[in-house]
Parts: sequence; C-alpha cells; structure tokens
Amino acid sequence: MNKNLESEGERKLSCSDVSKCFKLLESILDGDNIPESQEILNQKLAKCQPCFEHYHLEKAIKEVLRTKCTKHAVPSELVASIREKIQDIK
Amino acid sequence: MSEVQRKKYSDKEKSTIFDQEFMPHIDSMYNFGYRLTFDEDDAKDLVQDTYLKAYRFINSFEQGTNAKAWLFRILKNSFINDYRKKSKQPAKIDYQEVETYYNSDDVDYGITTDLRVDAVKDMLGDEISNALNSLAVDFRTVIILCDLEGFTYEEMAKILDIPIGTVRSRLHRARNLLKDKLRSYAQNMGYKTDEEE
Repeated sequence: MNKNLESEGERKLSCSDVSKCFKLLESILDGDNIPESQEILNQKLAKCQPCFEHYHLEKAIKEVLRTKCTKHAVPSELVASIREKIQDIK
Repeated sequence: MSEVQRKKYSDKEKSTIFDQEFMPHIDSMYNFGYRLTFDEDDAKDLVQDTYLKAYRFINSFEQGTNAKAWLFRILKNSFINDYRKKSKQPAKIDYQEVETYYNSDDVDYGITTDLRVDAVKDMLGDEISNALNSLAVDFRTVIILCDLEGFTYEEMAKILDIPIGTVRSRLHRARNLLKDKLRSYAQNMGYKTDEEE
C-alpha cells in the first residue's frame, strides 16, 4: 500500500471541491502570495487524501524538473560574439 | 516592463548594467532558447539577438529591477516574431489551438492521474527532459518559466503578456499533459500504477 496512507483514518477519501483545492495547492507550491498559506496547506494535507496526493505528486514533479532536466552549456564563443557585436553598435 | 524610455544612461553605466545585470543570466537565457528551438545554432541566434536588443533598448530598463524577467520577455518575443516566422514551425497550430481550446480559465481540476511519487523520483533526467520537450511550445514555456526558472505568476504574466488567471490555467493544463507523459514512462519502467492493480 501507499505509505502516504498511514494516517488514512484522519483523511477523507474524496475532496468536496477538487477544482478549487488543487488550484490553491498549486499556487502555494509555486510560492504565490497566498495569505496564511502554511496553515491552509497543513489543514488540507491533514484532512483530505486527494489533496495530499495531488500536492506531493506536484511537488515531486516540480523537484525533478528543477534538478534533473538536462542543462546545456553555453557555447564558449557566444559571449565573445555578443560583446563583439555590442561594440559595433556602440 | 513597459517599453517607455525612462533613463538616459552614460556609456559607462550601460556597460555596468550589461555586465552586472544582463550577462549573469546568459546560462538561463541559452537554456530557454535551446528548449524553445531544440537547436544549438538557433538558440545562439536567439540569445545573441536578445542581448543586442537589450543593449539597444537599455534606456527602457530601470537599473536594479528584474533584469532576468525583462530579458526573458525579449527572448520570448524574438522567438515568436522572428524565429517562428522564418522557421517551419507550425505556429498557427500551436497558438490558435492553445488560445481557443485550452486558455479558458475554466480548467477541469478534477483530472486525476495514477502516477506515483516514487516513480517520478526515480526517473532519469533524459526521461524528464523528453517528457517536457514533447509538450507544445506554449505549455512547455510555462513549465520552463515556473518550475525550471522559478518565476512568479506575476512575472510570467508579464513575460508572456497574458493575464495571471491564464498563467494559472495554462500551467495546470501543462502539468496534466506532462503527467500523462511521465505516467507512460513510469509504466514502461515497470512501475505499477493504480490502473494495473
């Protein structure tokens, strides 16, 4: 079983307003300026299983995007080329 | 981020702004360009054009404000106005469909996915990158700006010239599409999904 369900007894298994809740959770995760966001988050995660799962999945995806996406090194000649062209238009 | 000319910088001030506020973002700019075009030369051209435009219009940049967002907005506009016009990218399909079909603020937040946290965490960088790269450019862009570059909704709205509500709904839609991709990778990796249980 999903280890996230350990405290399942405390959480309701269906969310009464998935649309509003998920939107709010994503906003909080993205650092949008939501008043009392930490309290709202704690309450939702403690009481609602769909919210709990949605939040943790979105958080995990956000984290792997940030840390694992391939980064490309800037070609070494690019900076020199930009500076050279700036000199031309000065 | 208006285009109104506010300042009249000296050449020395221009150089200082360029070196200290613009150039430190070249890594992010190049990667943004690469993720839009998937081509090293095109990405280089986009970044170079962006920096030349930034220098040319430096008087409309207020020193000490958000240079990264300002530069990203220029690059995004260059991509739409210059790159797409001369390339064979199906801009009409991307944009018109997205604008009319997906941009409604009335997003279905009820869509759920059986993708699991553990499966996501075990994915390889290539799988994550491929999933992101497979999204249409407008969806890819909001995820790049938000999750890879850490821009706020407000900054994204300015960079993309769209309302914040549209940023939220486009981002949510993009994430759902990304989850669909990741779920198919997870199934291929042999992770169990709820559907199979």
